[in-house]
Amino acid sequence: MSGDDDPSGWQLTESDPSVFTQLLTTLGVPLVVDDLYSLDAAALAPMQPLRALIFLFKWLPGAGEPESTGGQYDADFPGFFAHQVVNNACATLAVLNALGNIPQLPMGKPLGELIGFAAGMDPQTRGMVVTSADWLREAHNALSPPSAISLDGLNLPKTTEDAYHFVVYVPVLGAVYELDGLKQSPIRHGEYEETGEGWTKKAREVIETRIATYPPGALEFSLLALHDDPLPILQKRLAQAHETNDVLTASELSQQLASESAKRERWAFENSLRTHNYVGMIHALTAALAKAGRLDAATEGAKAAMKQRIEAQKAKGSFSEDDYA
Amino acid sequence: MGIEGLTRRARRRANLVSTTYSLQQSAMPLVDPFSILAFKAGRAFRREGTNTVEPSPVKGAIVIERGEDDLLHLLWKNRETEETDEDLIVFPEDASFVRVEQATGGRIYVLKFTSSEQRHFFWLQDASSERDEEFVLHVNNLLQIPGYVPEWNTTTEPQTSGASSSQSAAPAAQSSASQPTPEQLAQLRALVNQMSGTVSAEPEVSLIDILTPANLGPLFTSHPELVSSIFPHLPPDLPVPPSPEVLSQIVSSPQFRGAVVSLDRALRTGLLGGLMSQLGLPAEAGTSVEAFLRAIREQAGQGPSGPERMDTD
Repeated sequence: MSGDDDPSGWQLTESDPSVFTQLLTTLGVPLVVDDLYSLDAAALAPMQPLRALIFLFKWLPGAGEPESTGGQYDADFPGFFAHQVVNNACATLAVLNALGNIPQLPMGKPLGELIGFAAGMDPQTRGMVVTSADWLREAHNALSPPSAISLDGLNLPKTTEDAYHFVVYVPVLGAVYELDGLKQSPIRHGEYEETGEGWTKKAREVIETRIATYPPGALEFSLLALHDDPLPILQKRLAQAHETNDVLTASELSQQLASESAKRERWAFENSLRTHNYVGMIHALTAALAKAGRLDAATEGAKAAMKQRIEAQKAKGSFSEDDYA
Repeated sequence: MGIEGLTRRARRRANLVSTTYSLQQSAMPLVDPFSILAFKAGRAFRREGTNTVEPSPVKGAIVIERGEDDLLHLLWKNRETEETDEDLIVFPEDASFVRVEQATGGRIYVLKFTSSEQRHFFWLQDASSERDEEFVLHVNNLLQIPGYVPEWNTTTEPQTSGASSSQSAAPAAQSSASQPTPEQLAQLRALVNQMSGTVSAEPEVSLIDILTPANLGPLFTSHPELVSSIFPHLPPDLPVPPSPEVLSQIVSSPQFRGAVVSLDRALRTGLLGGLMSQLGLPAEAGTSVEAFLRAIREQAGQGPSGPERMDTD
């Protein structure tokens, strides 16, 4: 997922939950991010209480954006809102716009100081302050492949898609707010009921209305849920179930814990793959093929594959070397 | 003695300096933070006793840079050996780069001086002649206008920021062999943009079709001793112990395949000479995918294969 090499030094990151969760760990925040495939109450229940929702989307060619998403601009928003001043920083900025509005959130010292420092500022200045924090930029860049291997600096012809656009939905002082770093102010979508499902009921309405306003097939989008890290919670509850000899609950919890742990191991594996420089490995693999006397055959096969690909593209009427990526 | 004599003497003295400089340079990659302009070009030589100028097929590049002596140098670098075979000091308004009209084919140029009889002939080697005019214009402006900074039509970072930041960053940048600094990357980016046309119209072979799970899977089972030679190159923070199964997983992963595509593309620019030395490969291995494969075959004791081609690329 290489992108424009932003002169400010922020690299474009992927939008996977594993990447976001790794960022939260680096920031010292005990929250995780998960993909949401549905906004139904039942789908959200295991993750309650949700701290924020992140809606990420990109417009497909030809589609426009509806004029408004409902709600009203609130220039007097009392919480944390920063403008997006660097495109490649969009994911981290969205996370900060969420974290800055979660009351009594434990966090690492650098983040705490940054949020505190930016307290009295206007959104634009706050955005610049956030973007100028070297330690934050380094934490952000640590999530993507090293630039030496992506070699974006060589300005190679790109197949890049545009970055996703991020919008955060978060409850602040009894109302659901929409924080979009490219908009002038946060948008207030109205109050929610504390009882029952809580703020996510209201958020669901707002997001579903928004999605419905786009023509069908006009955009690609994902939803992410920001919620408390379930591992320590499950572990604590499991310990309690053991103490009270509640075998049934203990068994259920063990299963949930195993499932969550497996997912986190998968994420750790993906993240280690994501940030690795593969040049040495590519060289070693190619050399291994050579030592085993198989490189020639592999090369011949590769030439044939390339020829086929070119023929196929010519038949389609165009060719780009990126088509085989 | 006049400026003529002065320049001749200064040039001789400067050439001593620049010879040392170019000896040091021959170990360095083709372009470096001092470079202002670079493009593919070969040399041509007058046949003795005649007026005929014959191009030499050797692949090279003209690189214009500001030297340590703060003078403008026009270098001719041999792309095959990575050596700097020619290093000429050019004083403002003294030199010009002019097309040789009588040459058929039309891509032969001569660098001539008002202060001396020296003539150096070059021919443009980029496969496409689309940018010939652009390069030649910039060369002449650099030779004629003190402080000239080339600007390019395509979207890249402005040369000024790259050039000026490289001056201060250069000493540190040159000593670190590992990661390129942001300044170096900016320079490389601008220079690759100048050298466009490196991506040839139809690639013949790509690494992504060689390093397939279908080719590598059987290798892992049949040659366990080779498998362990890959282990040191796996991600150091891999949360599971290395094994052939893990290796198979990684080789099929989008992250690995993305990296192969990136390296493949980068090899097509021909500018990865510096990176190759980190792998114990000759700089030539970084000039194309085929050269990379050739060098690896040689390293594995198989010897080179495939015909040599000496023409534009």
